[in-house]
Amino acid sequence: MSFSYVKKMGNRILLLQKVRMKFRKREASAHRFLKIFHTIVCILILLFSLNLAYADNSSRLSAEQLSRFQSLTKEIRCVVCQNQNIADSNAPLANDLRAKIYKMMSENKTNNEIKDYLVQRYGEFILLQPRLNKLTFLLWAFPFIGFASIFFFLKRFIKIY
Amino acid sequence: MLKKIIPFFLLFVLIGILGKELFYSKPNELPSALIGENIPNFQLADLFHPQKLFTSQDLKGHVSLLNVWATWCYACGLEQAMLMKISHQYHIPIYGIDYKDNREEAMAWLAQNGNPYIVVGNDRKGDVAIDLGVYGTPETFVVSPQGRIVYRHVGVIDQKAWEETLYPLIQKFEERI
Repeated sequence: MSFSYVKKMGNRILLLQKVRMKFRKREASAHRFLKIFHTIVCILILLFSLNLAYADNSSRLSAEQLSRFQSLTKEIRCVVCQNQNIADSNAPLANDLRAKIYKMMSENKTNNEIKDYLVQRYGEFILLQPRLNKLTFLLWAFPFIGFASIFFFLKRFIKIY
Repeated sequence: MLKKIIPFFLLFVLIGILGKELFYSKPNELPSALIGENIPNFQLADLFHPQKLFTSQDLKGHVSLLNVWATWCYACGLEQAMLMKISHQYHIPIYGIDYKDNREEAMAWLAQNGNPYIVVGNDRKGDVAIDLGVYGTPETFVVSPQGRIVYRHVGVIDQKAWEETLYPLIQKFEERI
């Protein structure tokens, strides 16, 4: 092998490396571009999905009202599918009731006013957590009565033996 | 002796009450909270003449039935024959509320199956139904001449329900007039 041949090959290798570097740089910039593009798309998708979720029922409520809306709909029974609340239910009536509650909230009605409205129409049963009043007094008192009577009987039982 | 009997007696009473709830209660039939109350005010467009209004005032002055129905409701189709009978044989005025329905379809349906209603209101959004506490069609309210809700029947009115509960209630009001 002559020296000139080695030099020639060396030059070629250098050239190749240069070309490779060039491509790599281009690749890197293309890669960076793709990365930026992807993040933009992701952000857009996120924004759109958020928009859609909010546009569903609650587009004009403030954040505070929105959380109130969400907690209130969890307390209302879906009368069609009785062991679900209307926040979880997809029944048409649950949709209507959510819309009604939403409407009443945008009219600045308080939670109690909304509950009263629903109870007047659908009865105490529509509230998943019954309120304490004349009708539900026995319901609320029953655990205490039960414990008291168990205590009473146990006491007698222990006394006998 | 008496002391020994009392716990058994209490036990049987408890079993009786629980058994009745278990086998004979109908959890799907909620009692209407509106019984004895005035019918909520409403204004609906007439199904056949949209420029006319059907309001809660129309129900006053005579005892009447207010029937909430829809063409998409299977049970409402079963009830239709009975409603025709009530309006044509017993001559009781029946008002209808068409619940979340398509107007054209509802008119075609009434033309085909017969129309027992004096007036049908078109409740497209279901707002009035919520005001009435409706949770399933068909539902029928007996409305007194003073515009109070006397009774609410959930589900299909059959001959038995009509003769045993609805008609006697209505007759009471007719006698007074």
